[in-house]
Amino acid sequence: MLNDKSIVWLLRIYLLLVFVFIFMPIVTSVVFSFNSDRFPSLPLGHFTWNWYDKVYNDPETWDAIRTSIIVALSASLLATIIGFCTAYTDFRYNFRFKNAYLALALLPPTIPLIILALAMLAWFSKLGISGQIWALIIAHTVLGAPFAMAIIRLRLQQMDKDLESAAWNLGASEWATMRYVIIPFALPSIISALCLTMAVSFDEFAIAWFVSGLNKSIPVVILEILQGNVDPQINAIGSFVFATTMTLVVIAQLFLFTKKPTTIK
Amino acid sequence: MSEGQIVFENVTKQFGSAVAVQPINFEIKAGEFLAIMGSSGCGKTTTLRMLAGLETPSSGEIRLNGVRMNELKAHERETPLVWQTLALFPFLNVIENVEFGLKMRGVEKSECTKRSLKWLKRMEIEQFANRSIDQLSGGQRQRVALARALVTEPPVLLLDEPLSALDQNLVVRMQSVLTRLQKELGITFVYVTHSQSEAFAMADRVVIMSEGVIEQIGSPKEIYRNPASRFVAEFVGTNNIISGYIKELNEHSMICNTAFGVIESNLHDGNNSHVAGGAVELVISADMVELSQEKTSSKNEIQIQFIAEEFTGSVVTLYFEDDNKNELIVQKQQREIEPLELTYGCKIYAHWDPINVFCIPEVNAG
Repeated sequence: MLNDKSIVWLLRIYLLLVFVFIFMPIVTSVVFSFNSDRFPSLPLGHFTWNWYDKVYNDPETWDAIRTSIIVALSASLLATIIGFCTAYTDFRYNFRFKNAYLALALLPPTIPLIILALAMLAWFSKLGISGQIWALIIAHTVLGAPFAMAIIRLRLQQMDKDLESAAWNLGASEWATMRYVIIPFALPSIISALCLTMAVSFDEFAIAWFVSGLNKSIPVVILEILQGNVDPQINAIGSFVFATTMTLVVIAQLFLFTKKPTTIK
Repeated sequence: MSEGQIVFENVTKQFGSAVAVQPINFEIKAGEFLAIMGSSGCGKTTTLRMLAGLETPSSGEIRLNGVRMNELKAHERETPLVWQTLALFPFLNVIENVEFGLKMRGVEKSECTKRSLKWLKRMEIEQFANRSIDQLSGGQRQRVALARALVTEPPVLLLDEPLSALDQNLVVRMQSVLTRLQKELGITFVYVTHSQSEAFAMADRVVIMSEGVIEQIGSPKEIYRNPASRFVAEFVGTNNIISGYIKELNEHSMICNTAFGVIESNLHDGNNSHVAGGAVELVISADMVELSQEKTSSKNEIQIQFIAEEFTGSVVTLYFEDDNKNELIVQKQQREIEPLELTYGCKIYAHWDPINVFCIPEVNAG
């Protein structure tokens, strides 16, 4: 029989293995981004900033970074606004087919990305905006809004319904209540939703590849470099993307979980 | 004709097909402490919410100072509410919570702070001004909620079971805070509660509601001694309700045949609809029954047998039966019953003064 102590140790080893499994590829990529050898092989060569220098001096990468940032900022803002409105409708009102409405609002992430991407490409060409930066912003807004809604909805569900009535009762109009009560209450989740949808947009490849045209985002550029040849530049770009996304996700988590809502009973 | 500060005229409220409030009519005088009491689902909170503008009446009219209120939005009214959940804003600190109402009325920032601090001082919580709400105790939060509602100096304060979340000893202290505050401010308090002790301890008048209907309006004493319906008699206090028929009737009193034998009752004001031979229900409050070991030859005296007792602190509730198994409930102070040396099954005498016998005017079928 296993005693308690050995179970604890087995679980620790298991946890360690899971982390190794998840993070090893990423760590490898980061390590090789500082490695002087052209091909990713062991033993390692010497430490170098060479690949980062190359990326830094490559205007195409800078264009991609700029596109990615513009798209991520715009899409996260739009997705969060839409997500907030959907979540607030759910919190405030009861109507027929509300469940259908919510299911529809949460639908996009359940559709296979490649299908969503094809559909968007077809639709955007019809509208004549395919290949423009707008196309990518709209696509990423659609993709991000359900995440934003889910996060903000979670927060609003923890809100005492009387809080809104109390604000009216103290002389706040509906708009003032939104401004001074609902939004301040939901603020941690709004920041969290902004960061997460930004991360989703920054990372997203499939749709971007289809609809971005000449406005390539970072993931698209990575694939293009990779298709040409094996170039450690992609390790450098990858490390940068990883750092950005992780920062956003960590900020989102901090706002989501450390600011526990205070309910007054 | 001068009407009360607040008037409910044939006000009803329906939620879909469910009727929450039947047509109700009552007035509240300026400066009055009015309690609306009833069990949950009786319509008391809906009534209060209609006054605050959080629900719209389905029909009828609510007037404040003679002005129709029905169409006025909640935020346009001067009827702040103290909530059962308190509904303090968790993302604001104590003074910001109190300032909220002033800020919404466009009062200048320094004036907001000045007036809020004044109220925090008055509620004796000024040292917590910059604390966050979750660092306060239940009683302190209660005071913040009161300060927040009163800072705009409204003519009417609404309270929806504000003490129900507090410990019993704190409830009694907050009761005295509230009554003193109401007397000092001279404004109208409308207080919704399910607790008889809260309503009777604080209110000038009490409205008793049941299933959307007002059963009785009166001072706590009137309601306690002279319940207007069987529902009220059963709901308030510990009462013996005895059915019978009127045998004889004269100007000041009546003699009734009941299960306990003949009971004489004085006729009280407002109850002059009786006819000889008519059915009556008599109410004898459990604390108005006198007990004695020997026969005293008083009016309304019966012999009873001691069955059971229920001891709750200094007051004891005693259960007796007469020879025909009719139950009589008596409430006494513990020290009053000690000389009687009661043992289970012992027989003693009970009597009550005709002046303490009331009758329920309408015999409610339900």
